Amino acid sequence: MEVCIDFLNWLDPDISVQILMYLEDPSDLVHASSVSRSWRDFVIANGLFKHLCLRMFPQLSRVARVMELNKCGAKEPVEVGSSYSMEWESLARDHRVYATLAQVCTSFIVEDCISEAISASSTDHYPDESIHNTLLPAYTWRASYWSSKGQSNPAVPETLIYKLKSEFCVITEINICPGQELLSSLHIYSSNSVRFRMGHTKGPNDLGSRHLGDSLPCNADDTFIWTYTSPEFPMAQEGCLQNFRLPEPVLCIGGILQIELLGRVQRNEIDGLFYICVSYVQVVGRTLSPTFCVEILEPSGTFVLKNDMQGKFYTPPSLPKNEAHEISDDQLQRGFRYWQHFVNRLEGNENAVEFIEEYESGEEEDEAEVEYTL
Amino acid sequence: MKFCAVKQYFDDENNNNITSGASTTMIPLPNVESHPLAILITYCKKHLKIKANNADNKKETEKEMEQYEQELLKKVMPQELTELILAANYLNFKEALDFFCRAVASAIQNKSIEFVRKFFGLESDFELGEEEKLREEFAWSFEGVDED
Repeated sequence: MEVCIDFLNWLDPDISVQILMYLEDPSDLVHASSVSRSWRDFVIANGLFKHLCLRMFPQLSRVARVMELNKCGAKEPVEVGSSYSMEWESLARDHRVYATLAQVCTSFIVEDCISEAISASSTDHYPDESIHNTLLPAYTWRASYWSSKGQSNPAVPETLIYKLKSEFCVITEINICPGQELLSSLHIYSSNSVRFRMGHTKGPNDLGSRHLGDSLPCNADDTFIWTYTSPEFPMAQEGCLQNFRLPEPVLCIGGILQIELLGRVQRNEIDGLFYICVSYVQVVGRTLSPTFCVEILEPSGTFVLKNDMQGKFYTPPSLPKNEAHEISDDQLQRGFRYWQHFVNRLEGNENAVEFIEEYESGEEEDEAEVEYTL
Repeated sequence: MKFCAVKQYFDDENNNNITSGASTTMIPLPNVESHPLAILITYCKKHLKIKANNADNKKETEKEMEQYEQELLKKVMPQELTELILAANYLNFKEALDFFCRAVASAIQNKSIEFVRKFFGLESDFELGEEEKLREEFAWSFEGVDED
């Protein structure tokens, strides 16, 4: 005998919600909401997809509202102005947007998400040892790294700030290779530990092509708002690419990532000061543009989540783990700019490339320091 | 006492009837059938026994409990799960309630819509084309589903 045990009818709504909230895979929740009209309405009315996304990414608690852009065939609510149907339409919109978000957060291509370097808290021998050196892996034609200025107090920290490819990314891990002197002492200038922050710019700054030189003119905390701070990870004093996997994937809202390098370990034998050097940085995750974009509402710091219905919805199969170490188009472009930078310096053409706008002419002796990686 | 509803009853009874023998009091449980109640009592006894055996080792308790729960699930029919949830909810037996809720969710994980309907004995009440529209809108979720 077929017994109808539709638990939605039998159980308290709270318990039914509890059961469906145990479904962690967004596909399962889609299936549940496709079983029948009452199940679909139950999932929508209780905002179960929103709950699922909030569990995956607590950073979404700052969402003020969602929007759908470029929606084709958008239909008007049945009774325009009826508060019930407006509320239902809002719940249904949340349902669609959060379902899409849950899906793209787990399926879009995994890649290096750094778009460009913004600034470092201090730089030695700018621009030779600037933060831009960290954008290319160490096997390029010269040993290149960013170096901080020296300090006699090893407790003085440093920070590196990067702009990501999109203002809405899911970040899973960060790889950092400390800088190492390759010709003489073989000293490795790692830090004691690292910590990561993610956030957005304060106000409608466009940091696109503006670089803040070898040191921030003002406190980074005045320029950026940090919405996520990671735990502290110990760093090994080894000159290899070290992996720092975040405890949970994190939604970076605003596309700005800061690496805090805490505690200096290596003294330079010439001047006796402590330095920190980094030769390569990778930020691994998924960019969610153009399918999703955000508008940050100042001064509340909340944001509007926008789903572009006509945004690219390409979902290739997940790539193997070592994909992150292959050179992407972006890296080739950065490599090209780096070459262009060096060639322009050789030719004394300091204005050709914008990111050397602080370059001081006449430092021809740098050419003599050309080194080749061993 | 795990059955919080029953415990509450005892507490109330003791407040009213200090002298009369509590062992002869009948406790009414009108919303619980005998079969799920039997399973819940066994579950409760097992849980307490495992906890007593592994007093200091929480991990061992969890592991043994998990093994017992897997065995139990094999013997329980899907239709009984709803009754068990209702009973556990009425008795205010939190651990059993959580366990059976998780069991229902696991049973429908990575399964097709048709499987879920069959599992609960439901029929689709969508209008013609409504379900197709849903499948199209969420096409990504219908890949890689278990064959029934």
